Amino acid sequence: MSVRELDLKQEPPCTSGLGNYLWSDPPDEKKWADCVHCGMCLESCPTYEQTGQEQHSPRGRVHLIKSVAEGKLQVNEQFMDPVFQCLDCRACTTACPADVDVGGLIEEARGQIRQAMPLTGVKGAISKFFLHDLFPHQNRLNTLGGLLKFYQKSGMQKAVRKTKLINIMPQHLADMESIMPEVKEPVKKKYKDVKVIKAKGETKQEVAMLTGCVMDVMFSDINESTINVLTRNGNDVVIPQNQTCCGALHVHAGDRDMGRKLAKQNMEAFKDFDKVIVNAAGCGCMMKEYAELFKEDPEMHAKAEEFSEKVEDISKFLHETGYEKPKAEMKTRITYHDACHLAHGQGIRQQPRDILLDIPGVDMVHMPNSDRCCGSAGIYNITNPEMANAVLESKMENVPDDVEMISMGNPGCMLQMAMGVQKYGRNQKIVHTVQLLDWAYQKEDRVKEGKE
Amino acid sequence: MRTKDRVKSQDQHILNLAEIVGGSRSILYQKEDLVAYDCDGFTIHKHLPRAVVFPKNTQEVSEIVTYCSENNLPFLARGAGTGLSGGAIPLNGEIIISMVRMKKLISVDLENRRAVVEPGFVNLKLTNSISDKGYYYAPDPSSQYCCTIGGNVAENAGGAHCLKYGVTTNHILGLEVVMPNGKIVEIGKDGIPDAPGYDLLGLITGSEGTLGIVTKITVRVLKNPEGKQTVLAYFDRVEDGSQAVSDIISAGIVPAALEMMDKTAIEGVEAAAFPVGHPKDIEAVLLIEVDGIAAGIEEQIDQILEVCRKRNVREVRAAGSEEERARWWANRKTGFGAMGAISPDYLVQDGVIPRSKLPEVLSRINQISSESGLRIANIFHAGDGNLHPLVLFDARIPGESEKALEAGSQCLKVCADVGGTITGEHGVGIEKREEMRFVFTEEEIAAQTDIREVFNPHNLLNAGKLFPSPSRCAEIKKEMKAQAIS
Repeated sequence: MSVRELDLKQEPPCTSGLGNYLWSDPPDEKKWADCVHCGMCLESCPTYEQTGQEQHSPRGRVHLIKSVAEGKLQVNEQFMDPVFQCLDCRACTTACPADVDVGGLIEEARGQIRQAMPLTGVKGAISKFFLHDLFPHQNRLNTLGGLLKFYQKSGMQKAVRKTKLINIMPQHLADMESIMPEVKEPVKKKYKDVKVIKAKGETKQEVAMLTGCVMDVMFSDINESTINVLTRNGNDVVIPQNQTCCGALHVHAGDRDMGRKLAKQNMEAFKDFDKVIVNAAGCGCMMKEYAELFKEDPEMHAKAEEFSEKVEDISKFLHETGYEKPKAEMKTRITYHDACHLAHGQGIRQQPRDILLDIPGVDMVHMPNSDRCCGSAGIYNITNPEMANAVLESKMENVPDDVEMISMGNPGCMLQMAMGVQKYGRNQKIVHTVQLLDWAYQKEDRVKEGKE
Repeated sequence: MRTKDRVKSQDQHILNLAEIVGGSRSILYQKEDLVAYDCDGFTIHKHLPRAVVFPKNTQEVSEIVTYCSENNLPFLARGAGTGLSGGAIPLNGEIIISMVRMKKLISVDLENRRAVVEPGFVNLKLTNSISDKGYYYAPDPSSQYCCTIGGNVAENAGGAHCLKYGVTTNHILGLEVVMPNGKIVEIGKDGIPDAPGYDLLGLITGSEGTLGIVTKITVRVLKNPEGKQTVLAYFDRVEDGSQAVSDIISAGIVPAALEMMDKTAIEGVEAAAFPVGHPKDIEAVLLIEVDGIAAGIEEQIDQILEVCRKRNVREVRAAGSEEERARWWANRKTGFGAMGAISPDYLVQDGVIPRSKLPEVLSRINQISSESGLRIANIFHAGDGNLHPLVLFDARIPGESEKALEAGSQCLKVCADVGGTITGEHGVGIEKREEMRFVFTEEEIAAQTDIREVFNPHNLLNAGKLFPSPSRCAEIKKEMKAQAIS
């Protein structure tokens, strides 16, 4: 964004806003009309748990967002703090007796804040770099991935750690560096020239797959596992090359224009498919909510609603269309962490657990408060490290001691939980649900071939 | 969390209070933060506090209170802010002392069946912490997922299961209280019940934060009942439903809970997050729970089914599983919040009536509803006659809030007229101050404010709550008394 654009943005485009919300797409009155201030959401909120303060609670945030519309407050720095401290974990929506869409309100309020007060200076540069110059551009992400791979393989990682160069990084970045997964080849690149990855055996249906931005660079092996599991269960898999980042990180950060742009591109990229399979809870939830971005554009709104119907999390898709139960024993004790955007965002709780329990030899240990946020929340752990760490600490207290693996369905959570394991001296392996299923299939094949 | 921020304020009192609680993380003083504290679960009156402070321990509470009292600053205590009568609303721009960071479970003594908690400890967490050992804390207000035990003491909170087990006051064994002058006192030391002398525990419990600030609470915990079963019954006529309630009690059964919801309430809970599929065309649903020694439960359930059938029940059945039972209760316990699904705002009233008067009272409430043009849903702790009419309104429409208040007040008048009273468990707060006159004479009210004066002589602590503003006559009497003394 050039300086000139910035200046333009500070002037509200019209005065058709709501109260002190001066820009288009203001928070939706209907969403707070459902809130009667009962307080049932309080204990579900990780930031309220940490602070005990109303303005950092769902009910308090809704009250403040409403107060701006009523003209009692301005969109300013002080208002920004509670709105941006929210993890957008949606636990409050689960707790709410009246189904108030707090997450939606928060995202809309952030949109107003970002337009009223565009980020400047270092923060602005960092945010622009990640949200505009990096995530929407798969080739740049791949280059970054390549650099990270070089960093890991060339010995530079060892050198940085050994020379204590790492000590000059801010603590939360150093923590992240220490758990960085080994970077492999992105599947979108790998299958660039493959039109359809054919099902093993008879084809039941064809599905398209979102490879994701971070997922494909940091966790391409999970994408690989997803393809394996889909093809093994009779699905032809297509990876449309013109797909892009889902836009969740942008919408969470208040950059709704960029969110809309990415949404449009994805709707176009996936228009010829009946099913869009997603293995990242955050992306799936965002794509199911694209219509929220087009409230002021009825035509796109309708299109987005239609599109969202096609989006399905991998665990729910497998659960509904059926999957082969693996026959090889995995012999492992695991626990399951509910990613917020799976459990609270999409109501998917039982399906991944059922899949895990269908793997022979998997002993599942209950994690208390398993649907409590881990503090990852997109890039929240980079923007609000202190709160993210406090939330992570309380999460780790609930991870049972005697398990070997923690399974979940979201890459952000995986990085954050890996950091938790490292930081609190635990030794669990972090896995995606679909990976464990894939490994069981692979083991079964090896046994069949007499290799095990 | 704004770590590096220092407290920047022109107000010297705020700087001094910040000093007591240890800096910027434990005090709020900027408007955008304070707006979140301008009301509690009662949203009709709003007022900004001067500041909100978050003490960590009794000593800090005492220092804050001493400071406020010496500097003539009004103050009040707040728990989770789920109260329904406005007890935590800073009508006079009070300093709010938020108790939520004092949230430790201090000790559990199962042998003597008691536990000690800090006031910010959440009600349900107590049961959750001892349930694996077979114990629980009985008072269960519907907000128990989030309300604090300190707030429960202030309001003498009840709940669905108070029919058999009693309200909060029946479960309080000891309190540590910071008096309005800052002095720390202990009442009912070591949790020995029935201490000689005046029942100060009883006086403080339910005093709505006007006599002192509770900083430590010793509560009674109970052994889990051996067995438990819940029955759901649908009635086509309210009269039959309420007659069934009376019949169950007359049959000598004391259910643990006996709840009723009317047609509008059912519409609300079914439109909200925890629907169970109640038919839309019935007039009343009853939820009846019995607990106790396992052997006797089946017999009681049979008796209850029999009574309901005699009273023309359309459908009646016992819960088939614990999961089903839990769903019925989630549906009922989130009933107030569920009104958000069918109305932008609601005001809940809290009358108590003789059980036998229910059909009459409901028909008069219906009349109030049609006269005011506002819908009124009824959720009813039927067993102990505690009625909650929920007046549904839209605060954005000019004049509707006032109309709702007026309709609520009329409902309470009806309750008082049939020989009941104006609050069962939500407290008087701001909301029902004037309605106190329905049940007390000027002299009776004056006798109670005299008691307040002993504890809270300068009325700095939570002023303007619980009692109506003195009428001319009472004011004159007080002036005369003051003159006589001088």
